[in-house]
Amino acid sequence: MRSFSARRGTCGPALRHLPTPNYKSHRAPRSRAIRQSKMADAAAGPGGSGTRPGSKQSTNPADNYHLARRRTLQVVVSSLLTEAGFESAEKASVETLTEMLQSYISEIGRSAKSYCEHTARTQPTLSDIVVTLVEMGFNVDTLPAYAKRSQRMVITAPPVTNQPVTPKALTAGQNRPHPPHIPSHFPEFPDPHTYIKTPTYREPVSDYQVLREKAASQRRDVERALTRFMAKTGETQSLFKDDVSTFPLIAARPFTIPYLTALLPSELEIQQMEETDSSEQDEQTDTENIALHISTVGSPFLLLHSTPETAYPTLGPCPCELNCP
Amino acid sequence: MPPTGIETSRMNRKKGDKGFESPRPYKLTHQVVCINNINFQRKSVVGFVELTIFPTVANLNRIKLNSKQCRIYRVRINDLEAAFIYNDPTLEVCHSESKQRNLNYFSNAYAAAVSAVDPDAGNGELCIKVPSELWKHVDGKTPELKVLKIHINFSLDQPKGGLHFVVPSVEGSMAERGAHVFSCGYQNSTRFWFPCVDSYSELCTWKLEFTVDAAMVAVSNGDLVETVYTHDMRKKTFHYMLTIPTAASNISLAIGPFEILVDPYMHEVTHFCLPQLLPLLKHTTSYLHEVFEFYEEILTCRYPYSCFKTVFIDEAYVEVAAYASMSIFSTNLLHSAMIIDETPLTRRCLAQSLAQQFFGCFISRMSWSDEWVLKGISGYIYGLWMKKTFGVNEYRHWIKEELDKIVAYELKTGGVLLHPIFGGGKEKDNPASHLHFSIKHPHTLSWEYYTMFQCKAHLVMRLIENRISMEFMLQVFNKLLSLASTASSQKFQSHMWSQMLVSTYGFLKSISNVSGKDIQPLIKQWVDQSGVVKFYGSFAFNRKRNVLELEIKQDYTSPGTQKYVGPLKVTVQELDGSFNHTLQIEENSLKHDIPCHSKSRRNKKKKIPLMNGEEVDMDLSAMDADSPLLWIRIDPDMSVLRKVEFEQADFMWQYELRYERDVVAQQESILALEKFPTPASRLALTDILEQEQCFYRVRMAACFCLAKIANSMVSTWTGPPAMKSLFTRMFCCKTCPNIVKTNNFMSFQSYFLQKTMPVAMALLRDVHNLCPKEVLTFILDLIKYNDNRKNKFSDNYYRAEMIDALANSVTPAVSVNNEVRTLDNLNPDVRLILEEITRFLNMEKLLPSYRHTITVSCLRAIRVLQKNGHVPSDSSLFKSYAEYGHFVDIRIAALEAVVDYTRVDRSYEELQWLLNMIQTDPVPYVRHKILNMLTKNPPFTKNMESPLCNEALVDQLWKLMNSGTAHDWRLRCGAVDLYFTLFGLSRPSCLPLPELGLVLNLKEKKAVLNPTIIPETGAGTQESASNAGCHAQLAGFQNPFSSSQDEEEVDMDTVHDSQAFISHHLNMLERPSTPGLSKYRPSSSRSSLMPQHSLGCDIIPPTKPQWSMELSRKGIGKEQPLEMGVHSMVAAPLSVFAKESTSSRHSEHHHHHHHEHKKKKKKHKHKHKHKHKHDSKDKDKEPFAFSSPASGRSVRSPSLSD
Repeated sequence: MRSFSARRGTCGPALRHLPTPNYKSHRAPRSRAIRQSKMADAAAGPGGSGTRPGSKQSTNPADNYHLARRRTLQVVVSSLLTEAGFESAEKASVETLTEMLQSYISEIGRSAKSYCEHTARTQPTLSDIVVTLVEMGFNVDTLPAYAKRSQRMVITAPPVTNQPVTPKALTAGQNRPHPPHIPSHFPEFPDPHTYIKTPTYREPVSDYQVLREKAASQRRDVERALTRFMAKTGETQSLFKDDVSTFPLIAARPFTIPYLTALLPSELEIQQMEETDSSEQDEQTDTENIALHISTVGSPFLLLHSTPETAYPTLGPCPCELNCP
Repeated sequence: MPPTGIETSRMNRKKGDKGFESPRPYKLTHQVVCINNINFQRKSVVGFVELTIFPTVANLNRIKLNSKQCRIYRVRINDLEAAFIYNDPTLEVCHSESKQRNLNYFSNAYAAAVSAVDPDAGNGELCIKVPSELWKHVDGKTPELKVLKIHINFSLDQPKGGLHFVVPSVEGSMAERGAHVFSCGYQNSTRFWFPCVDSYSELCTWKLEFTVDAAMVAVSNGDLVETVYTHDMRKKTFHYMLTIPTAASNISLAIGPFEILVDPYMHEVTHFCLPQLLPLLKHTTSYLHEVFEFYEEILTCRYPYSCFKTVFIDEAYVEVAAYASMSIFSTNLLHSAMIIDETPLTRRCLAQSLAQQFFGCFISRMSWSDEWVLKGISGYIYGLWMKKTFGVNEYRHWIKEELDKIVAYELKTGGVLLHPIFGGGKEKDNPASHLHFSIKHPHTLSWEYYTMFQCKAHLVMRLIENRISMEFMLQVFNKLLSLASTASSQKFQSHMWSQMLVSTYGFLKSISNVSGKDIQPLIKQWVDQSGVVKFYGSFAFNRKRNVLELEIKQDYTSPGTQKYVGPLKVTVQELDGSFNHTLQIEENSLKHDIPCHSKSRRNKKKKIPLMNGEEVDMDLSAMDADSPLLWIRIDPDMSVLRKVEFEQADFMWQYELRYERDVVAQQESILALEKFPTPASRLALTDILEQEQCFYRVRMAACFCLAKIANSMVSTWTGPPAMKSLFTRMFCCKTCPNIVKTNNFMSFQSYFLQKTMPVAMALLRDVHNLCPKEVLTFILDLIKYNDNRKNKFSDNYYRAEMIDALANSVTPAVSVNNEVRTLDNLNPDVRLILEEITRFLNMEKLLPSYRHTITVSCLRAIRVLQKNGHVPSDSSLFKSYAEYGHFVDIRIAALEAVVDYTRVDRSYEELQWLLNMIQTDPVPYVRHKILNMLTKNPPFTKNMESPLCNEALVDQLWKLMNSGTAHDWRLRCGAVDLYFTLFGLSRPSCLPLPELGLVLNLKEKKAVLNPTIIPETGAGTQESASNAGCHAQLAGFQNPFSSSQDEEEVDMDTVHDSQAFISHHLNMLERPSTPGLSKYRPSSSRSSLMPQHSLGCDIIPPTKPQWSMELSRKGIGKEQPLEMGVHSMVAAPLSVFAKESTSSRHSEHHHHHHHEHKKKKKKHKHKHKHKHKHDSKDKDKEPFAFSSPASGRSVRSPSLSD
């Protein structure tokens, strides 16, 4: 928003100068006339950012805005043409020139922004514009003289006819005023309710019964949904031959090590246990530490094992070697 | 050094003999067990044992040892090769051609078979001939009694009993997979995994070596001396030394990738568990040191072993198994701190095993008939621990429970005899003729009987304590222990070691020495005699004389009862206090006059003194105005093993419930109040329920009683359903009474009550005999609002009980014309229940509960819904949960449902499925349990007509107990129990009448066609599936005529004889090349065997007489070629001959002559001529003959192998 407005703001001085890119028009008679005007040889790109004006009237404020801008530029082009001595122009030529003007101005804005950001600033200064213009091959020195030419035409501000046509259904609060860098003719801020955040708090439910009810049904719903899902996605068993979906039982699947799931508390339970008795946990770890301390003392099961060098004498030949086929 | 002073006489033990006389002509002093290779993949074990023995006779030429399943490669005595034979009559109790199908016959044969290898009678499966060099001496010299070292190389392949391999089928190395192996068995079962003298009375010191994968730990008895890596550093050898003389039966082993925890309180104690379970192990064993302290303190004796190890393993045979200095527990006993219900149970298991360390492992027994002393003492001191740990209430409750159990069992089956005395060996004076099994041996005992036996043993110990006081009792124990520990330290005086054996006589002598009291009548009544006492009591109050006229009758004619004569305590609570009276129960006196102390005076307000000195106010308005009696109790201390049925008025029971402080009395009155559904009973029960000082188990019992009373008074019941308002008051929110408080189980008493009350409430029924809607909604709300987030403990048991409550609320469906149960006609209440069950069961898959308690309850509830006709009856769901790979509790619950389904739906298919599982399931406990459940809930009984009862089933079950369960005593006895339940003692009625002629005819044609084989073939195939491994090779060559026989034959051979095994394989391999030949091999095929002989492979036909080989080696060389010729001819049909010959000789021995055997003997006479000759020669020579002449299947003769 800021860079856009900045670009807009710096457009002023160049507005009356019509640089024309080297544009080959198939409309021959008018292109000759155009070439008579001062032409800048530095060509901007074909101004892709411009919005094509729609032929049909759009109610969209953004489209309206584009249309207005376009119209202003057309006025500028027309007045420049008049200044240059044209009495009439084909619509297509005017359109083309408008397009070129728009591209040129956009390019100035874009480059100026780049220069300004290159120097770690957010707002372009005059020198940014100057460097831009120089870079684009424009002789800056000629600009003051051109600006002070006698026969120049003054263009009025764009009409504010394209104000949002839809009547405000709801006006809530004061609209925020424009910050200083935005010209006052620019559209107003939207209604505050569209962007102002109001944190809201639900009325806390304090009724015990409702809470319990809620917790119970919530858990039940989750469990039901989960088990149903599991049943739907996996193998099931049924108690009724004719109906497999009303009471689907997740099929029994044997475990490879059944005692682990049966004996070890589930993660949920572990978590719960940690929550409920953190105080006793401390006590327990204390005793565990003692246990660890003691356990290192001389249990034969925890001693280092002898290596074969100190091997125990014995063990005759394995009968397996003797007798097994 | 002749170490023993024991005379070398044969076993001749009488009751009253003081010393221990070994039934063996030698004394074992030391044994080395070395297992140097354990293959988890193949489930095989290779190793050797070395027994050091001192002969006690001059010419010790035979040594009998116990060995089952092991394949024995060679036996050397003092480095000399020794010949041996192997004969195990228990492999197949009755031989297959016998058409006998009555259980009487089987039980006798089985007892005889067990006797024939009983180490306590000096017998064994393995008979080793001592090389003559070691006992024959040059004339003139007296033979020296010198040490013999018997070195036996053996291996074990796919053991079906004794050692249990657990190998989960996941990726990774064996250690990563958590594979482990452990020894297990019922009573003396060590012979299943290494050759030994498998007797509790033959003690010796031990050296145990186990070479295992470096990632594994081997845990065994005694001290771990050293752990040595093998040279390739891939394996480790664990060396254990057990210097305290110990019986082989108390030797154990557990190998696995265990996590090790040294007890933080006692470093001599080490705990082992499977990977990932260490946190649970820490918590579970954190209590053990207190048990240690307790026992050491009361016995004033240190724990006898220098270390103690607990190992927690999966697929346990029993929950607790105690061995010398080591106990093996089920891993399912482990629990975290969040679990309430399992904690006391696990602690009890720990305490039980520790008690058995003192009595059972350290102190062993002289003979089977002394077992009761060990079980009694260990059970008794365990009871003392219970009393100290859980309090007197819990202890008395437990005693009452055990008493009720034993009384119920004895009345049902006809008695449990603690100290059987067997005179003369005559079957006629069998002390347990009412039973369908012999009680002569532990291995013939029904498991249930044995459980009850242990229960009775500790109750009798308590009776002795009552008589001689606890102080004396503990002194006796201390005396036994100090004698034993003195003896155990006598390292080189093995004759002293018999002091470590306890006998009934020695125990009683100690008692009389210590206490100076004569307890003989007590022993005679409860130990030497079976049965319990049944009292019927009633009374009348004689106001004029102010006397209580008590009448006590006895029933001593029903089975399982006995007459009681002696003192009996009666406690009378009167208005003035409680008074004890000791009545003398005599032959003819039924009536007893008891003078009363107080006059009736209901109007005086005065506190009433109770037995314990407490004085209470009572509302006496309910009682009889004329009588001062509040309540009467007969035998309040349970000092007789009895059942009392006592009649007194309802208000007396109510007073007893409210004011008697003994929990046993409270429970008895609760039971009695069931018969008095009155508002007064209701009030008494409700008051008890609310009373927080009251013992929680009494309160729980009151819940169920209240439900019963409410149902009886349903038409007059006022107010909300019983217990509802009580529950609401105790456990629900004050502001919203329909919502239960968030769980807080800090108070265990209210936790148990909270669990139980809804279960009892669900039993309430309205006038239509339906569960009131209000109750169902209430339970559903409890489930809905259950919130455990703030709880320190897991609520899995609570939730499981809520499902049980839902199941309890189910009533039979109203069925219209037996319509098929579909979803559309589902009762809306049942729909709600089913919704909950479905959700719970599915949630279990995602968040499993501890021990899957919720799944277990859900499965039970589904079966209840099926049985009540709400859901179509179907077993497939249960069958899928019963598969191997589910947690064992789930499997048992599912199997229970299948068993029930089998009974209700009379499904032959399900019965077959169950029977198949009995034979093939990898977990011994599950197999045992299926049999057990089938016996408890049989598909039919002997007096019932059932389509399931047919000849094939009889044959199948017969085969199961006859040979299919030879590897597990417990399982075989379970099969016997089932057979008894289904068919009774005599020949099953569904069988055709046995016609001898027909049998004989069949026998003639047997090799070609025998219709009775067909069912057996089916069973044989199933069996082969379970055998996998070596048998798998055979499976492909199943011959329609001989397959089942061959299988059995191999089964027997592989177990003990590699040679016969190889020859058998060769035979089998040839089969395809000679199609159409069922039994008799043509001479062409015979030739293929011949080169084997010439190569020097000493393939000896199983039928080959063993001692004849010996003789031939000794120089009757001429016989050898002849032998070979006979052999190769015999080799082909060996299975037939082997079996027939053994069976005939077997039956000959056991005096069970059957006509069908006669002919066969004649038939094969010529083939066995030489054998008989040599046998008789041997018999002449030997000082004692084999009790069961072996058929000599297994021979290894050194001269031939060279």
